[in-house]
Amino acid sequence: MSIKDLLTPFTAWKRITKDPVTIRDPFNDRPGAERYRGFHKNDVNKCIGCGTCEDICENEAIDMVPFKDPISGDSGLRPRLDYGRCCWCALCVDVCTTNSLTLSNEYTWVTVDPEDFRYTPGVDKKAWDDNEKGWKKPEGNYEFYNINRVEMHHLHPEDRDKSFVEMVKGYSREQAIAEADRCVECGICTATCPAHMGIPEYIKAVRHEDMEEGLRILYETNPLPEICGRICTHKCETVCSIGHKGDPLSIRWLKRYIADNVSSDKYKEILNTIDLSNNHKKVAIIGSGPAGLSAAHYLALMGYQCTIFEQYEKAGGMMRYGIPEYRLPYDSIDKDIDYILSLGVDIKYNARIGIDITLEQLNKDYDAVFAGTGLHLGRSTGIPGSDNEHVYYATDLLRQITAGEEIEVTDQIVVIGGGNVAMDITRSLARMQNQKFGKVNIITTALEREKNLPADLEEVVESREEGAVINPGWAPQSIEIENGRPVGLHVIKCNSLFDDSGRFNPQCDITKKEFFRGSMIVQSIGQGMDLSYVSEDFKKDLEFGPRGRVQTNAHFQTSVKWFFMGGDIIEGPDVIHGIANGHKAAIGIDNYIQGIDFAPAK
Amino acid sequence: MDLTKMFQFNADRSSYPELDANGKPIIDLSSHKYLKLWQGPQHPGVTGNMSLELTVNGDEIVESITHVGYLHRGFEKLMERRKFIQCFPTCIRMCVAEPDPNEYILSACIEELGGIEVPETAQWLRTLALEMARLQVLLRGVPGQAGTFSLGLGYQWGNYIRDLILDRFEELTGGRVYHMYILPGGVRGLLPDGFKKRMEENLKLVDEFLVNINDLMYNNIVFKQRAVGLAVIPVEWIDKYGVYGPSARAAGIMRDVRKTHPYLKYGELDFEPFTTTASDVYARSLVRWHDLKMTVDLIRQIMAKMPDKGDIKAPTPNVMHWRIPKGETYVKCESSRGEYGMYMVTDGSDMPRRVNLKGPSYTQATALLERLLINANIADTAAIMVSLATCPPEIER
Amino acid sequence: MVEILKELEERFQVSDLVQQKDHLAFVSVDKNKAIPMITWLKDQAGYTSLTLITAVDWLEDGKFQLTYMINNPKNKTQIAARVMIDRENATMESAHHLWESVRIYQRELKEMFGIDFPGSPGVDESFILEGWVDIPPYRRDFDTKKYSEETYFPRPGRQSNDPAEYMKSKMYPNE
Repeated sequence: MSIKDLLTPFTAWKRITKDPVTIRDPFNDRPGAERYRGFHKNDVNKCIGCGTCEDICENEAIDMVPFKDPISGDSGLRPRLDYGRCCWCALCVDVCTTNSLTLSNEYTWVTVDPEDFRYTPGVDKKAWDDNEKGWKKPEGNYEFYNINRVEMHHLHPEDRDKSFVEMVKGYSREQAIAEADRCVECGICTATCPAHMGIPEYIKAVRHEDMEEGLRILYETNPLPEICGRICTHKCETVCSIGHKGDPLSIRWLKRYIADNVSSDKYKEILNTIDLSNNHKKVAIIGSGPAGLSAAHYLALMGYQCTIFEQYEKAGGMMRYGIPEYRLPYDSIDKDIDYILSLGVDIKYNARIGIDITLEQLNKDYDAVFAGTGLHLGRSTGIPGSDNEHVYYATDLLRQITAGEEIEVTDQIVVIGGGNVAMDITRSLARMQNQKFGKVNIITTALEREKNLPADLEEVVESREEGAVINPGWAPQSIEIENGRPVGLHVIKCNSLFDDSGRFNPQCDITKKEFFRGSMIVQSIGQGMDLSYVSEDFKKDLEFGPRGRVQTNAHFQTSVKWFFMGGDIIEGPDVIHGIANGHKAAIGIDNYIQGIDFAPAK
Repeated sequence: MDLTKMFQFNADRSSYPELDANGKPIIDLSSHKYLKLWQGPQHPGVTGNMSLELTVNGDEIVESITHVGYLHRGFEKLMERRKFIQCFPTCIRMCVAEPDPNEYILSACIEELGGIEVPETAQWLRTLALEMARLQVLLRGVPGQAGTFSLGLGYQWGNYIRDLILDRFEELTGGRVYHMYILPGGVRGLLPDGFKKRMEENLKLVDEFLVNINDLMYNNIVFKQRAVGLAVIPVEWIDKYGVYGPSARAAGIMRDVRKTHPYLKYGELDFEPFTTTASDVYARSLVRWHDLKMTVDLIRQIMAKMPDKGDIKAPTPNVMHWRIPKGETYVKCESSRGEYGMYMVTDGSDMPRRVNLKGPSYTQATALLERLLINANIADTAAIMVSLATCPPEIER
Repeated sequence: MVEILKELEERFQVSDLVQQKDHLAFVSVDKNKAIPMITWLKDQAGYTSLTLITAVDWLEDGKFQLTYMINNPKNKTQIAARVMIDRENATMESAHHLWESVRIYQRELKEMFGIDFPGSPGVDESFILEGWVDIPPYRRDFDTKKYSEETYFPRPGRQSNDPAEYMKSKMYPNE
């Protein structure tokens, strides 16, 4: 120690001339930084109330509270913060599926009432709602879950366009687990699914590799998982919360993965249906499509003895006779149907109601009747030339292909229609042209514009991959006939389909004309129901709605109490509605037979 | 003029009371020679809120017992009930003053057991955040040693610069105290525009601060009189009592995880931790001053070497149900106080089976501090405690 | 690292070796061989520094796992010894004579897990909890959530809705 040690500390005095470093402005805010994690903001119109923020909050600071009535894809709930618990970690922001939740850079809030510190951002207006600055989910490759779908392997167009081999390969174990991992279990999808399937639950079963549990969940609401896992219209995927910033979950393929990975001989054991009770009541079911099969399945579980009357040689209805094999192989259909039949459901093939047995007779022999007879009749465009014998209906052709009947295939075909059935027939005919002529020459045209095509996008894309020309936005005018055969279709440009009030009222531009050459024309503009099995007397008792549909109540009971109806004929058209209708009708029939009365047809 | 003698405090620190075979004092409270004195939990001289139960004879401590338990929040247990991602806002609270090492070791444990590779840019940003954390804690910690001798001036200077560093933290991480920046898989943001320039301006102030504090503390006769020779930790005690980091380096033992087990980007940086041998309060304080200096240099190196762009986070399984296979590991890093480690056991579920945090204070503020305080002066208690850089939350967790 | 692990296998019949990383290995050792092994490692093999002692509750197996992690500052390697002890009347030989800090760990383990270390100084004194009457809180069967719900008052007026349930109740209550 030295004298230096005594003096050096006094050098601190040199700072006496320096300015103070404190901020001397008591009136102006010191705004938080660009990324500051301040008070919450929520874009309530972007938010879908999925509740993932609530799930990730380790402090349980978030409640989901009602904001508006739920609609498909939006629970109507919005997150409410409790600032007595929040720690501003912003995990809720980073995990938000819609990126609607953010933090502002505001950090001062003085109030005398502690209850003020519970608020619903975006709903309860706050001064910082318009602050641009504040924490947002970091840019770049920063996600808490994979927003990209695990790609499903499809057969390459060249490998599939000549045959009816199934083109979607299905997920492998690793792919399925990786895809299932993306789910945040919000459950928004369940309400949108017509059958209200336990989607997050069965996805969880895939994640945990518990196929048996997965199968049990599937069968709670859907007895046709192999079929739905392939051709469901997957409305659930359109509302998937992950879809807001990435690809929605492949819910359909995951369902298929479960069904594909349980061997059919284990079904009864897993689903605990080896010994079913029998209540000695009988139900007749007309049609073995999805609605009929679904009703039979759930009725069988309840102990009913069901008999299905099927007009064709095989069961499945439109699923077998309407959907081409490359999309839905027959053994998948058989797997689902065989299981339902194994529950003691009886089926009579080639049995036509009204011809082989009357409806009235069914009423006498059975305690109730369910009809899921679908839409089988092709609808005609009614344009000149459409009555030519080489102008076909798609449904007829599809049925004939399935039945193995010879159909006409020419080297130049025009298909009218923009729905999934139109795509099915386009792609089926394309394959047959390829087999026969070695090339595809097919034009599919529709009233709707490209972006409004009713068919699934993937169907359109894949049709094009397979060589078909999809040329939408045209209204068919007439079919030109030469020497008793069509040579082509005259069309004019269609600008819009609906008027301002939303009524169907196509607006066309007759100056823009086109002629699509084709020696064979297929109409696929929709299907109608065939009620020929119902006698005229009986029809008088049935109540019909404004658009010619039979009226049913919430239990799919018609105005004739013992007669229930469901499926495409009532709602849809698609498989999943049929399944849901069949399930509800089964419950309705059970109630009816047990004598529980409910509201008449609406 | 030799001032040493003039200011030498020559009190007779006799061995009274007698020590037993284990070196523990034999105290007979009924003899009326002793007084029980509590220092803490509310006491400005105690870092954080723990307390020391002192038995004094005159102004001399004859026995000290460390009482923790004023702060206990059971974070380790809480983490057993949280998904891996949810542990991340919890774990930072285990050392309030320097939360970033908590974030890092938790993330590193999860990444190691979950098989996640952190992107290059994120590793640099983590290194930067850890050094910035050390910088801000030492800006208070270094002058804080003088504060325990009532020289609060340096503390004011340091606190001002620390606030500026917190501004940098705020713009980088969105938070000033709890940064919540390093999370499993990566970090939560790239450097904002102009960050390096503003950081460099702050570092220049630290350079100046280092000179000033050197004049104020280490060449200060009062500080020297109080600190030199105080609470010497013999080399043999390093392992016996569990002494880590700067306190070990003050005894001439090289303990610095950054050097011994380079993690993140420390292997690519050029630095040599300072060691000295006196092992008293003065030496420990001087080591920290050198650490601060080294940290400034490290931050400059990091900012020069790090890439400006790149991925900040590796893809992880969905954090809402991230399950990690059965396993266990221990990850350590160098906090400003020494080796800071986390032992994590996983059991295949989506939550950790067990998380155990091991900070240097656990041994230093209990076994070691109790030993060092024997025969110390009451007025030196705070100085000794601060010289060990005690952080009570990491004892109780 | 390989040699020392081999030697441990021979001398103390350790099992379940896991070399977690270059400088860190986990071994399982019998309860009665644990303290001799640690003593040997400390005195003969250069593992002079104690990193931590802690416990893991394997409630399902009825076992506590004690983990002793020790460190060799010279060659910078770390060995963690797992010792499985019965959960019922959990007792372990004290190691307080090896390092000064061991008694602190053991005191905490007694309080938090209820594992006794007979002979360890102050092992029965409360370390963190004062006046605790429930089961040792770090045991897996102590439910923190339940405890806090019973002990503290939840804020009134808080109520949350599950999105799927709420949508069902509003959109299709009867299905």
